[in-house]
Amino acid sequence: MVRPLARFRTMTSLTPRQRARYYQIAMYSAAAVITVVVVFAADWSKIQKNFFNPEIAAEMFPEVITSAVKNTALYTLLSFVLGMVLALGLALMRLSSLKAFRAFAIGYIELFRGLPALITLLFVGFGLPIAFSGFRIPGGVLGRGSVGLALVAGAYMAETIRAGIEAVPKGQTEAARSLGMSQTRTMFTIILPQAFRIIIPPLTNELVLLIKDTSLFFILGSTPGTKELTKFARDFMNAERNATPLTVVAALYLLITLPLTFLVRRLERSAAKAR
Amino acid sequence: MTHAIDVRQLHKSFGDLEVLKGIDFTVNAGEVVCVLGPSGSGKSTLLRCLNRLEESNSGTILIDGEDITDIDADVDQLRSNIGMVFQQFNLFPHLTVLKNLTVAQTGVLKRPKDEAIGIAREMLDRVGLSDKIHEYPAHLSGGQAQRVAIARALSMKPKMMLFDEPTSALDPELVGEVLDVMRTLAGEGMTMMVVTHEIGFAQEVADRVVFMDDGVVVEEGSPEAVLRNPNEERTKQFLRMVLET
Repeated sequence: MVRPLARFRTMTSLTPRQRARYYQIAMYSAAAVITVVVVFAADWSKIQKNFFNPEIAAEMFPEVITSAVKNTALYTLLSFVLGMVLALGLALMRLSSLKAFRAFAIGYIELFRGLPALITLLFVGFGLPIAFSGFRIPGGVLGRGSVGLALVAGAYMAETIRAGIEAVPKGQTEAARSLGMSQTRTMFTIILPQAFRIIIPPLTNELVLLIKDTSLFFILGSTPGTKELTKFARDFMNAERNATPLTVVAALYLLITLPLTFLVRRLERSAAKAR
Repeated sequence: MTHAIDVRQLHKSFGDLEVLKGIDFTVNAGEVVCVLGPSGSGKSTLLRCLNRLEESNSGTILIDGEDITDIDADVDQLRSNIGMVFQQFNLFPHLTVLKNLTVAQTGVLKRPKDEAIGIAREMLDRVGLSDKIHEYPAHLSGGQAQRVAIARALSMKPKMMLFDEPTSALDPELVGEVLDVMRTLAGEGMTMMVVTHEIGFAQEVADRVVFMDDGVVVEEGSPEAVLRNPNEERTKQFLRMVLET
């Protein structure tokens, strides 16, 4: 009598290892075919002229660095710092024993996580001056944009910080309180330093997201001195009728974000080891 | 005469679960009291009520004659006078051993930094870990960590020390070094209340042994009386089980 498994094997006459091998060969062949088709179908001279035009790329320098990269970095940093301060306040309110604080924090977080960042930026840039006649956040595009993004980032980071605080073992609070430390002192000298160590990777991710979100600042209007990378590239592209500026700023974005994401991965690995 | 600790009719519930069902009990200054009992008997909860890590539901707790269950009592001030040692050590992992010992001295007691460091060195010397002063807690063995935790509590110069199963999380070969430190401390006249499963330690060091079960004090007295000739059936049963293993 033939057992079911043995019959199956005679039918296909392949061992699992052989099957895996043929599957691999099939995948590689498919990839090779697709690559060949794309390479022959694409108009390489046109791509080269429109996306990798060295003369147009050269024209972007040095302003793309001295102005655009600088503005992107500045917008990101200010948004991050303001957002962090806001997030810390929200996280502490979220964990407060006062119900009103908790309710406010939850309401805030859900509101700003639910809205597109663009809408928040428009509200801050154009809504506030209408609501409070003539009131404008100082600092021009930098001030208004950073406050707008910080309002959004604060909502996300508040949840991250809260998770970090909750990840610190309860015994730490008990030990600190049993030494006579007040609730506030315990939070700032014992709990938060440990919480931040835990949440450095997700906070770095948040920073990377902010770098990209600064491309929304164009909505607030711009002068030659306030353009960040994306706006700078778009204006250059329109003037030159060529897409090379996009390629250049894409490379510059990656130049900034890739080291950060590598850093996150390393931090996560070392955090996993320390545990 | 006022007792160091004087607990009267203490009740504590977690939700529907009544953990302490009217505890009466005292500790005199300089006395070492060991609290024994099966797990779930309420002994850790009793200890944690004494510095208000748990809030009792009713009854009074007098520490040096002062009612600490009073809503106006200064909890932080109270706690800085009562040293507490936990089962899980609870050292601050982001601070060096020295910082673990000085952070509350400078922050809570407002001692000058030099004085705090001096006291920290003295206390580390007492637990025999002067050479670990600049280490982080992660680099200490369990026994060393617990000795540092004792030194941390001592550097507040507390009037009394509470120990919550201080050796239960330790590998067997590390228990001795912690008990040695506690034995020395007892010999120096520190008021101590120790929740423990170490019958041998209780027998040797305790002035008095309290046996708790199911939220009440079943029996208390000298170690000889409670551990060698217990009156209550529940105590006998517990001791039989502990000594067999």
